[in-house]
Amino acid sequence: MTDTRLPLTVIGGYLGAGKTTLINRVLSATHGRRLMVLVNDFGAINIDADLLESAEEDTLTLTNGCVCCTMGGDLFMAMADVLDRNPRPDHLLIEASGVADPQKIANAALAEPDMRYGGIVTVVDGRNFSTLTQDSLIGPQVRGQIACADLLYVSKTDGQEAAPALQAINPEAVLADPPTAPIETLLQEFGQTFEARGKPASHPAYTHWTGGGVRMFGRDRLAKLLQQRPDGLVRVKGFVRGDDGIGWLVQVVGRDIDLSRTAQPDKTQLVAIGPSARVNREDCDSWWNEKAPDVQPDALCHPSATDTKFREMDT
Amino acid sequence: MSGLPESLTPATKKICRTMTDTTIFKARKIITMDPNCPEATHVAVRDGRILAVGDERCADGVGNVRVDERLSGAVLLPGFVEGHAHLMAGGLWDYTYVGYHDRTDPDGQHWPGLTTIEQVIEGLSQQAQKLEPGAPLIAWGFDPIFLSEERLSRHHLDRVGTDRPILVFFSNLHLMCVNGPALGMAGYDSDSRVEGVVKDADGQPTGELQEMAAMFPLMRRLGVDFRHLAQRESAIRAYGRMAVRAGVTTMTDLFSTLSDDDLAVMLQITAGSDYPLRIVPVLGAAGGQAEELAARAKALAAQSSDKLRLGAVKLLTDGSIQGWTARVKWPGYVGGQPNGLWNLAPDQIFELCEVMQREGIQMHVHTNGDEASEVAIEAIEAAARKHPWPGHRHVLQHCQMMGTDQFTRCAELGIAANIFANHIWYFGDQHAALTIGEDRARRMDGCRAALDAGVRIAIHSDAPVTPLGPLFTAWCAVNRQTMSGRTLGAAQRITTLEALYAITMGAAYTLKLDGEIGSIETGKRADFAVLGEDPTAVDPKSLKDVPVLGTVSGGEVHLT
Ligand SMILES: [Zn+2]
Repeated sequence: MTDTRLPLTVIGGYLGAGKTTLINRVLSATHGRRLMVLVNDFGAINIDADLLESAEEDTLTLTNGCVCCTMGGDLFMAMADVLDRNPRPDHLLIEASGVADPQKIANAALAEPDMRYGGIVTVVDGRNFSTLTQDSLIGPQVRGQIACADLLYVSKTDGQEAAPALQAINPEAVLADPPTAPIETLLQEFGQTFEARGKPASHPAYTHWTGGGVRMFGRDRLAKLLQQRPDGLVRVKGFVRGDDGIGWLVQVVGRDIDLSRTAQPDKTQLVAIGPSARVNREDCDSWWNEKAPDVQPDALCHPSATDTKFREMDT
Repeated sequence: MSGLPESLTPATKKICRTMTDTTIFKARKIITMDPNCPEATHVAVRDGRILAVGDERCADGVGNVRVDERLSGAVLLPGFVEGHAHLMAGGLWDYTYVGYHDRTDPDGQHWPGLTTIEQVIEGLSQQAQKLEPGAPLIAWGFDPIFLSEERLSRHHLDRVGTDRPILVFFSNLHLMCVNGPALGMAGYDSDSRVEGVVKDADGQPTGELQEMAAMFPLMRRLGVDFRHLAQRESAIRAYGRMAVRAGVTTMTDLFSTLSDDDLAVMLQITAGSDYPLRIVPVLGAAGGQAEELAARAKALAAQSSDKLRLGAVKLLTDGSIQGWTARVKWPGYVGGQPNGLWNLAPDQIFELCEVMQREGIQMHVHTNGDEASEVAIEAIEAAARKHPWPGHRHVLQHCQMMGTDQFTRCAELGIAANIFANHIWYFGDQHAALTIGEDRARRMDGCRAALDAGVRIAIHSDAPVTPLGPLFTAWCAVNRQTMSGRTLGAAQRITTLEALYAITMGAAYTLKLDGEIGSIETGKRADFAVLGEDPTAVDPKSLKDVPVLGTVSGGEVHLT
């Protein structure tokens, strides 16, 4: 039971915010994944060539092969090319252009059956973002980039200083805390590595939680429960038993709740993560155990056999 | 060859023949756009260039001449120059046209406009019968802005057929409507919460998909790739055939993303003497990184050939007025919509302008809204202060909301304007009623204001956004009539001669090709538009109806 869809994470943010620096940090990390990076800017390859080269050389030992490509406006056509690659990369990162609306790119992952939403990370230059958001020409677009983010990554200053202003624009996003946190958090869609990969990368800044049980759910009830999860639980994934004998594959990233059908598991296996500053295990336990008491399947649910994607902002 | 002595060897004969191979085209009338000789009846052509212009004796004394009588009943003008179009206009004809307005395809087939949803269903049904069972039916050009009835839905398209996926692109290519089987291919149903998958009151997808993300899964599965629509050989050839039908001999591709492979194909196709068109691909700047853009533009410039002219760049500043994405100055859109979107941040526009100006690279800058044109003018002025270059000839493209103040600054700075005159007829009523209101719509696409301010202008179609047809474009600038029949902004009308100049010399100037094309003048390329009537003699209201019989491109005759 594995999810073979290609996760897409979009890195947004205004010009000079530090998107490329962040991507270079991702590339240099030993995350053990085959990454593909698409840069949606003419010639915007300031991606460190040495990193790419070493990644190529290290492909065998670290399975850290990375491929960069550039394109003009035809980002979506390039996305189709990535999906057709054999072997398919493990994760697709798109660096959006400085004025792009990251949501419009990330929507492709919600629409395309072969892709999975891997979140929007907006990089914010802590020194100038308040000036930029007030700018009469570009302000609305910069605010839009912040408002759609699942994770806000403050560069160049201490994130705490910028936090109140950012939270005013986007109260739901998680602030990378601290911004120098291990970069694996980004690749695991804002959480730490879920499965042990030789060296378990636990980090005190994050709360890990696991949920279980044999309860069975219809689609609507499960989606609603996941929507009501504790604030700050940015990433949830695993398997849940379905009330029609077919299991649910759960992928929650930021605001996106993605439910698709899979073989019925013997019992629910959920793992979740969030910043310790915003969520603790007790909150998670009480949410899962009290809001979802072990009862009979909800008779009001009408489970569907097709894949389902939820977007909380639409509800 | 009668004048050659018999004693010459065949090899020498051959050399003599090429040296003296002169053709005189005889015409009913030749309108030259050269003030030194405004009208003529004969033009002599050698090696693809104009040797002489005048009467039947214009080429006396040049040696052997052959008189070509094929155009003797026609009126010749300089080959028209379309300064703003896109190669995709050729590729889209691989799909079925279902637009509201009549169009003619590159092969001359007339596609009558479909003005009701019933007609769209009927047109699609006829097309479906020509396809293999199960083969996808893909259509383009549908424009709901002109249909006041209900919106096109999957139910309409299911009536065409549920045995194949059916996909109808809207004319702006930002939206599409698909049938049930196509929805199924993407897995779209009542559970889908994808932004852009439009639902009806019962929560079912209506079939309408908005923006690329929602359209992408279907395009991927049905093999619709915008890059290939522009760059495959069939599209480039279709572009050439379209040009012949419109009297066009030089045309831009005004946001080119040429790869080296694409370039090789284009060089090869355009080099053929059978290919009737000079193409000017203008490299698109999709984002920042000005230095790399400049380097690429220079590398491309070095590969230019006679019929493929490279080296200029295109900057896309804002969106479109009818999509409410153009950046407009106060008081904004009359419906209270928020101001539009920048495709390049103003900071990037300033940086790109400075680097292109420093490197001597000509820019074509897309500016629809007046705030976008303001920023572009400011950026070029700032660049010009740092790196003076009197002959830069940067061009603002569309210029739809510019007033006399901005045109005056353009004249001061040596900026040319390529004005989107076709908008007046196609969208003028909508602009007055819905987007920017009556007063600003009256001054839209203000050719008169630009000329009076001393700006060099061209006018354009932006094909495939509106159909290629410089005579129609000239008609729009001369009459300023909208679809409803009213005259929108009579003060901005220009004369027929001014409009004809704009689609020849004016556009050639914006491409820095006015030394080679744009007039029928000794030394220039033998590029002519072959017309059935004299456009300067017809009622200006009939300018668009002057028949185009074909073109002469580099001395080669291409009749439709
Ligand atoms: Zn255009």
